[in-house]
Amino acid sequence: MTDTDDHRDEAGASWPARLHSLWLAAQDVRNVEDMALHVYGAMLGEDGVTAVTGTRWNGRELRYLRRATRESQSVTTTASQRAAATRREPPAADRGRAGGRPVVHVHDLAEPTPEFEPEAAVLREAGARYAMESRFRLGESDWGAFSVGLARRPDGAEDLAARLTQLSEVLVASNRRITESRAHEQRQVEDAFLAEASLQMDASLDAQETLARVARLAVPAVAEGCAVHLFGDDGALTPVASAHVAAAAQPWLAGLARDDLWFAERLHEVVRGREGTVLTGEDLAGSPFGPGTEGLGRAVLAVSVSPLRARGRALGTLTFVYHRGEEAVASPRLLDDLARRAALAIDTTTSYEQRRRHVEQLQRHLLPTALPEWPAAELCAAYEVADSSLEVGGDFYDAVIDHDGRLAVVIGDVCGRGAEAAAVTGLARHTLRTLLEDGTPPARALERLNTILIGQSTSRFVTAIAAVLAPETGGGCAVQVSAAGHPPPLVRRADGRVEEVQVAGLFLGVVAENELEPTSLVLAPGDSLVMFTDGLTEARSASGVFFEELLRDAVRDYAADPGGPAADLVARMSEFRATGSDDTAVLIAHVKGTR
Amino acid sequence: MRSTVNPEADTEPGARRIDRSSILVVEDNLEDAEAIERALRHTHPEVRTEFTTRGTGVVDMLLTREELPGLILLDLNMPGLSGHAVLAAIRARPELAGVAVVVFTSSTAPAEVDACYAAGADSYVYKPVNFTLFRTVLKGAVDYWQESHTGSSGPSGSQPSAGEAEG
Repeated sequence: MTDTDDHRDEAGASWPARLHSLWLAAQDVRNVEDMALHVYGAMLGEDGVTAVTGTRWNGRELRYLRRATRESQSVTTTASQRAAATRREPPAADRGRAGGRPVVHVHDLAEPTPEFEPEAAVLREAGARYAMESRFRLGESDWGAFSVGLARRPDGAEDLAARLTQLSEVLVASNRRITESRAHEQRQVEDAFLAEASLQMDASLDAQETLARVARLAVPAVAEGCAVHLFGDDGALTPVASAHVAAAAQPWLAGLARDDLWFAERLHEVVRGREGTVLTGEDLAGSPFGPGTEGLGRAVLAVSVSPLRARGRALGTLTFVYHRGEEAVASPRLLDDLARRAALAIDTTTSYEQRRRHVEQLQRHLLPTALPEWPAAELCAAYEVADSSLEVGGDFYDAVIDHDGRLAVVIGDVCGRGAEAAAVTGLARHTLRTLLEDGTPPARALERLNTILIGQSTSRFVTAIAAVLAPETGGGCAVQVSAAGHPPPLVRRADGRVEEVQVAGLFLGVVAENELEPTSLVLAPGDSLVMFTDGLTEARSASGVFFEELLRDAVRDYAADPGGPAADLVARMSEFRATGSDDTAVLIAHVKGTR
Repeated sequence: MRSTVNPEADTEPGARRIDRSSILVVEDNLEDAEAIERALRHTHPEVRTEFTTRGTGVVDMLLTREELPGLILLDLNMPGLSGHAVLAAIRARPELAGVAVVVFTSSTAPAEVDACYAAGADSYVYKPVNFTLFRTVLKGAVDYWQESHTGSSGPSGSQPSAGEAEG
């Protein structure tokens, strides 16, 4: 690429000026081979230099040889080959440094020079009689040699040796800069990828969808293909997501992920060994991948498998399929980090799903499956779970017909949420139900529950209402109500008037001596007893108004529609509510008949 | 010594010439188009890129050409004719079967991916926010489709259907 004019300029300038411009160029160059072209030109400008060679080595393997001569100004590159065992390498790099100082050697090309092949042969061919070689280390096994062919013996050629050294230093420095900038760029890409992957993992609480998104993101950012396997309920590794950059290759990869035995064995090895693996070349023998296979797998040059582990448990594996070479395989840092993040995301989503199932199951046990049929009154109930939480709520209600044929109804609220609140809720509901079924008056039943709660020394307190309805001979019901720290129930008369039932009593589970007074009232045909928990009254609108202020109107107007007045009340509250999302229970007993 | 790269044009019997070193970008967002241009200039300086901001008329424009781009990078969300519609229109023309269509979009939603594949996209590539990653992803997709047409190394891409008629 150095054309003749350029070269003449370089040759015409003073050596320090030329060297300075090369150092400047080294700051900007993207690839060390481009830099070498400038450097070759500079050396060809020296007196007596007939040809220049540059070689790049990986241990004993020659990666390339390039030669430039004064006549042609052209650079020819020879592809990689193995060197003779006699070829000398530069000394190891200085401690703590990737590169090393260039070391200059002079060779007499009339003699056999096995330590300087294949350059010696190339320079001889270009008419050189002597050679001066500068060897320098670029990395652990990466090294190079920059050599000039000379027409005459380099006597008193201190100057030339110094210049060869200086130019080699430019090459070492520009190589280091390029290596560092590539590593920096690679790290940036990895960090950006991990950040995007984390965002994708947050996008859904569904494990399968999360993994499908991550697999999609990873191709072609990390590799051409990606497959994720998780342990299923049966303990077998099952493919849950796969993606390939080519639409046409997706069914192929998904099929291998599902059915290929070689693939399955590698995954199990990684799960057992708990360490990620990268398979290339010979490792792929017997696999559906690599140049030895037919079809789509032919283009695959490497496969990496990383274990997915969270909280000490093996969850599955993350596999990448690379059509690029081994050197393009993602770094262990990226693979480990991605696998760790994915495993955490899976762990979070699966435990979320599990917990939600447990909550649902538990909640079902805390409420009656069906309300009893009772001749004198109809019952309806509604229950709304605060949806922003996974905790089990503490609201409960129940209804039971006692041994004398009376209807006993209960509503209550255990303070707090979670497992302990759920346990207390179960205890309260079943205690009250059993006592009321046996004919215990409501006030006594609540007092007994109080004693039990005190005995349990739980930190949870309970509010509740218990009421017993007895049919009157002339129609309607006589009602005994007792309340413990609970919002007073309302009575809705058949004509729509709404009255608050006067009840008072301290909540349960706090003081040992808690004597409760019953209140008696009569419900005429068409009247209703409306009981609810504080989730209903404490719902607030955006302007800060409590639903309690609207409750009487809502009860007066509630629809006796098929959904039932209880559901209607809850729906009205829900619509009104802007803040406050406690659980809400409503239980309504409507006395049959008309006055 | 710098030589101009020969366009790796391959000719399928009965089909239009396809220039594998030419890419058509259909992208209405100018910032994204600029990013694609900048990224490709860095990773594939030999590739010729052509930009259009509208999906409307893309197919008609291609049908007037004797030489087709090897790859179309297609944005999904565009005013006027959407990316989905452009994709469907391209795949409805057997003359364009040899052109690889890469959907390049900011969604990873599985439903969106499935819809694009069903409509005949050759690749569905997520468009990351970070530019360096954006460049890496774009390079991965372009390399893949260029490799896959340079002989044995890659899977065969979309084959022109014209050859099949010869039996």
